[in-house]
Amino acid sequence: MKKVNLFCLSIFIIGVFFVISCIPCSFAQEAEVNTPGAIFYQANIYYQEAKYAAAIQGYQRLLDLGLESGNLYYNLGNSYFKEGQLGLAVLNYDKAMGFIPNDSDLKSNYNYVLQELNLEPRLFGGWFERSVYSLFKGMTVDALTILLSFIYIVLIVFFTCSLFFNRFKRSIGLSAGILIVLFILSAYALKMKINYLNKFAVVIIKEANAKFEPLENATVYFKLKQGSKVEIVDKADGWYKVRRFDDKLAWVKKDALRN
Amino acid sequence: MADIKNKINLLKSLILGLGIIFSALNLTALCFAKELSFEASVDRNKLSLGDSLQLSLSFNNAQNMPAPELSNIEGFQSRYLGPSTMMSIVNGKVSSSITHNYLLLPLKLGVFKIGPFKFEHNGDKYTSNQINIEVLKSQAQIPAQSGSQEEPMQVKDLNDRLFVIIQARKNKAYLNETVPLTIKLYVNKLGIRDIQYPEFNHEGFSLGALDKPNQYQEVRNGINFDVIEFNTSIFGLRPGEFKLGPAQIKCNLIVRKQPKRGPDIFDDFFGRYETYPLDLKSGDIPFVVLPLPQENRPVDFSGALGSFSFEAEAAPVEVKLGDPVILKMVVSGEGNFNTVGAPKLKSETGFKVYEPQIRQDVNAKSFEQIIMPVSLEIKEIPALSFNFFDTGSGEYKTVSRGPFPVKILKPEKEEEVRIVENKQLIPPAAVIKEEKLGKDIIYIKDNPGRIRKKNAYLYNNKVFLGCQLVPLFLYLFTVLVYTKRQRLKTDVKYARGLLAPRKARAGIRQARKYLDKAEARKFCDILFLTMQEYLGDKFHLSSKGITISVIDEHLRKEGVAEEILDKLKVIFKECDMVRYSSSQLSRENMWDSLKKLEEVIDYLQRRRE
Repeated sequence: MKKVNLFCLSIFIIGVFFVISCIPCSFAQEAEVNTPGAIFYQANIYYQEAKYAAAIQGYQRLLDLGLESGNLYYNLGNSYFKEGQLGLAVLNYDKAMGFIPNDSDLKSNYNYVLQELNLEPRLFGGWFERSVYSLFKGMTVDALTILLSFIYIVLIVFFTCSLFFNRFKRSIGLSAGILIVLFILSAYALKMKINYLNKFAVVIIKEANAKFEPLENATVYFKLKQGSKVEIVDKADGWYKVRRFDDKLAWVKKDALRN
Repeated sequence: MADIKNKINLLKSLILGLGIIFSALNLTALCFAKELSFEASVDRNKLSLGDSLQLSLSFNNAQNMPAPELSNIEGFQSRYLGPSTMMSIVNGKVSSSITHNYLLLPLKLGVFKIGPFKFEHNGDKYTSNQINIEVLKSQAQIPAQSGSQEEPMQVKDLNDRLFVIIQARKNKAYLNETVPLTIKLYVNKLGIRDIQYPEFNHEGFSLGALDKPNQYQEVRNGINFDVIEFNTSIFGLRPGEFKLGPAQIKCNLIVRKQPKRGPDIFDDFFGRYETYPLDLKSGDIPFVVLPLPQENRPVDFSGALGSFSFEAEAAPVEVKLGDPVILKMVVSGEGNFNTVGAPKLKSETGFKVYEPQIRQDVNAKSFEQIIMPVSLEIKEIPALSFNFFDTGSGEYKTVSRGPFPVKILKPEKEEEVRIVENKQLIPPAAVIKEEKLGKDIIYIKDNPGRIRKKNAYLYNNKVFLGCQLVPLFLYLFTVLVYTKRQRLKTDVKYARGLLAPRKARAGIRQARKYLDKAEARKFCDILFLTMQEYLGDKFHLSSKGITISVIDEHLRKEGVAEEILDKLKVIFKECDMVRYSSSQLSRENMWDSLKKLEEVIDYLQRRRE
């Protein structure tokens, strides 16, 4: 009788151990499946299988988790392109540009989708803004921030050195001047980029009517093609007041835009 | 009653129909039961040379028999015209037959026996009868009818009136030597049309294009012929003995069709002619191709064969450095121009030489070559030489032209020598066709890259921004220190004022030591000195000149409290007493004086701050 009980007990203990050991294992697997990397790779597999809608869902899930990366936006742009939603493809390529502006694949795809939409890449603002933007086009917001920080530190070192070394004080004038100009330009470019991140939107429908007033029956001022970029300058109930590249202002329905 | 009659009539009709069907079946059976016969016949037994006759090969009591193939019939050429079938019922006798018709064209005069024709079908052998045919002189040959002169030679054969010959200018030639070749079609009073260009065996030779044929008349062996002459040229591709020909010309002979019934006025008026296809062949000619001799062969011999002359000129002869000079070279004469290459400059040093443009005419080949002088040292264009093998004399010959004097001028404004490429001179193979590339998006990224939280930019990272303040504070501190040091260096009053309390503290420490040892004199000395130096440094006065009256006046101006001034006076008085009048201070007095000094310094320091 005792032997039987012992046997039952050992079986019970083994069973308990097995269950206990399995629980963390299943948790671990679930956790692994839910890691950003796993979600990304799963979405890539959907893309490879030409299940673009599922791929979009996968990539979007990462965004919903509050994560982002240049490659993520790039792949999402590709998926939208394959789904025929070219406006959203432009939007995501544009966002990817904020992270990997020098990626040749991204540049190629971005230009291609603009070509498909019969659009030209246009810059906003006057010549100074355009020049500054072009000068720092290849830099991300963080890179610009680091550059600014670096220039700032170098300037402080220059000024500090100039206190103690008279000879250095005389020779740093030009360098410091250049650095100060560069600092101002970088700061301006950073401001523009931040402004771009927060205020720019892309037309995601085939054609959006830009009206004089935020009213259904208002006169159409101009039309915006799918993939066109606009700057949001104001908001009203269900409407965005937008600025076009040529500074023309009009009201566009919120549904037509995405940022 | 009427119904019975109708039924009887219907029965009769039925019996009659059945009878007819039965009879027909019976007749067919009878037909097949009959023996097959094979018979040859012609529409006429006499005809003129140039006319034609119809040969009919009939199979009686047969409906489906294939056409027999006629072997060569002596004196005739044959052509199948087609079959005809016939079925007849005469007095209840049914007969059927199939006849295959042929057109026979006589080739020569005489009496000919055609047949018997033999034919085998389904294992059965059939033999036809034999026919005699007489071929007479053509009516066109009768002088009275043709109106021509009496011809000395009797034309007995069609081949005497229509034939082809092939002729080469010579039967022996060197390798690659061009030899003119002529193919002639002779026609004597026959209607010929649809003459095709000749074909002939030319193995071992390269054949030139056949020119448009010439037509003329020629008397040959006393007979007047119309001649169609085709001219071309050939050259041997390898040494050896070869045969040229036979040449083959296809054409249609127009023959007059003899009417089956008597002469008809309409036959003569409208003419009953038909065409008969002919394949005329010439004989062949032997030809020997000789190899080129190795003796005296020039080193740069390019293979030109024939008899040529060579002329060359250069223009312009006065050019700026880097400008083109055009060499015009013409090789003319007789020979194989395919073997004639561009004459060569004896030396190309000092020139950039382009490929020549070539134009070939019938008896000349011209070359236009652009060369560019690249040195001011050049005084002449080197001689041009052209060598060839003279097939007439069997020797190698070299013809040279030049050198051509030229004047090379300096380019204006010291401009660089630019070599301008002439696109026409670039061979077509060098032109690369632009590749058309496909377009699509580039594939997705296989890794997520640097994933981070949304909007986690450095510019709104508090730690990063806080770190940015550190260098600023360090700088400000450095500036502060620097400024202080600079003031200490340059502002004596400030430096003395700053050092005064430190020195005073040192003096007080020293005085305290003397107080502990109860050395009143030394105590008063150091106390006085400390006070004197402090006040001097503090108010930027000469320490040695500090007296109670000086200090009293100065401190009053500064607005120092009366109590402090009194304390100072007490300290001055006590110190003077001990220093100059050997009176002693008790320990308590010393302590009191020290305390007062400390209070004064403390007051003045506080007041300053």
